[in-house]
Amino acid sequence: MTTTKTPVSFRPRELVVTEDGSGHLVGSRCPTCGAHYFPTREVCAGCLTEDLETVALPRRGTLYTYTVVHQSTPAFETPYVLGYVDVEGPVRVMGQIDLDPGDVEIGMELELKIVPWGTDDEGRTVWGYRFGGVA
Amino acid sequence: MTDVYVIGIGMTQFGKHPDRTAASLGAEAVRAAIHDAGIDPRAIQTGYAGHVFQPMVTGQQVLAQVGLAGIPLANVENACSSGATAIRGSYLDILAGVADVSLAFGTEHLTGAFKGAFTPGEDDPEAAVGATMPAVYAMRARRYMEEFGLTRSQLARISVKNKRNAALNPLAHFKKDITIDDVLAARPIAEPFGLLDCSPVSDGAAAVILASGDWVKRHGDSSRAVRLAASALRTGEVETAPGSMTFEVLTHKTARDAYEAAGVGPEDVDFAEVHDCFTIAEILRIEGLGLFDQGTYPEAVERGEADLGGRFPVNPSGGLLGKGHPLAATGVAQVVELTKQLRGEAEDRQIEGARIGIAHCRGGKAAGVEGAACTVQILMR
Repeated sequence: MTTTKTPVSFRPRELVVTEDGSGHLVGSRCPTCGAHYFPTREVCAGCLTEDLETVALPRRGTLYTYTVVHQSTPAFETPYVLGYVDVEGPVRVMGQIDLDPGDVEIGMELELKIVPWGTDDEGRTVWGYRFGGVA
Repeated sequence: MTDVYVIGIGMTQFGKHPDRTAASLGAEAVRAAIHDAGIDPRAIQTGYAGHVFQPMVTGQQVLAQVGLAGIPLANVENACSSGATAIRGSYLDILAGVADVSLAFGTEHLTGAFKGAFTPGEDDPEAAVGATMPAVYAMRARRYMEEFGLTRSQLARISVKNKRNAALNPLAHFKKDITIDDVLAARPIAEPFGLLDCSPVSDGAAAVILASGDWVKRHGDSSRAVRLAASALRTGEVETAPGSMTFEVLTHKTARDAYEAAGVGPEDVDFAEVHDCFTIAEILRIEGLGLFDQGTYPEAVERGEADLGGRFPVNPSGGLLGKGHPLAATGVAQVVELTKQLRGEAEDRQIEGARIGIAHCRGGKAAGVEGAACTVQILMR
């Protein structure tokens, strides 16, 4: 049995999952003007600097807005809460929210959670992300 | 620089056409536009065909059916702005002197292409976590409620208004008046939206024929020609910091381009056809176009100001909510409605004394970008 197994991220370009079950979203930072981007970019839209830095985005942010989705594509079971979370950078990230709709409020602080998202062809767990309440 | 005129318009019934194709709907609309213009089709020198979820070279399939195969034609995809972008192609050909007469159409057989909620592109990071188009607009509605005190029934009032206008439009998908209670009782889609806050999945096509001022003088019927004074297009910018989701910078900038080209301002415009894919969208468009101050349009709708017969009618055709939304046909159908209104041929929906109309389309979504494509066109008598 192998001792180290890198967990599988549902979208490795956007989400890094570490062996301890933690992880972070992947963004870009412009070394010239400091602008942040999610998803990652190759050129800064503000000052056109190339070779942006790849950075781990902060895990905590503030809920900008949200909805409860009742009709979606076959890939998703409904209903689910979906929101935009502003994290320090600043940059805005969309994610599902792991709270009862009645407990969700614009402006609340939320934290990134790494959650099982499905399984791949080899039967391994694939990990995705949601935002949840701050413990 | 020459002026550009709309000399012919055509449109199919919008709705569900299980036995048709995008090509046959497109051909019907193009033939109607040729007959409306009263021209020999061989006068048409270039063409642009908008479509989103249709087979490749659908535009050429249409040309083959109407006897126009051979002319230069490009198929155009810009999500919900595809048809309006096609019109801009014809507009630019005439401004550039490449053509005296050009054809633009949009066609979509959407019921045959998909069902259910629309999503951003498949590989989009937001689609990957469950974004649907209704959800994205529902989030904007929720934020607008928080910032400006918009109520659920004010939102519903927009659907009621547009479906009432649609009931007066023989080519509209919806033909029935509804009440605010009907909107509130509809099946939930993405809160606060129910089904009646969302534009329907429709099939349909629309076509316009544009001509230069010189051509109209020499060959046309100038009494029915309506001037296309601006056809502006922009793409959404990458946000360098999280922006407001209750004010549309993309719409605002595209409108500024259009007002400048037409030499008019928002205060000169008499009525509008805007991209009301969802109830909140009409509010965001109208305020982004500078036609009402931010945060004031919902109450104006409640007072009846945007009704037919109101101070500033919005979506007299029924809009996307009432007339239907066959994606690429939508932007062309807006120009069809503006032309009918400015000619005085809008029958039961006629806005008395209308001289200047504005049409707005906005389509597509990508993570980190404020909308993909936006078009604003200004027509005047």
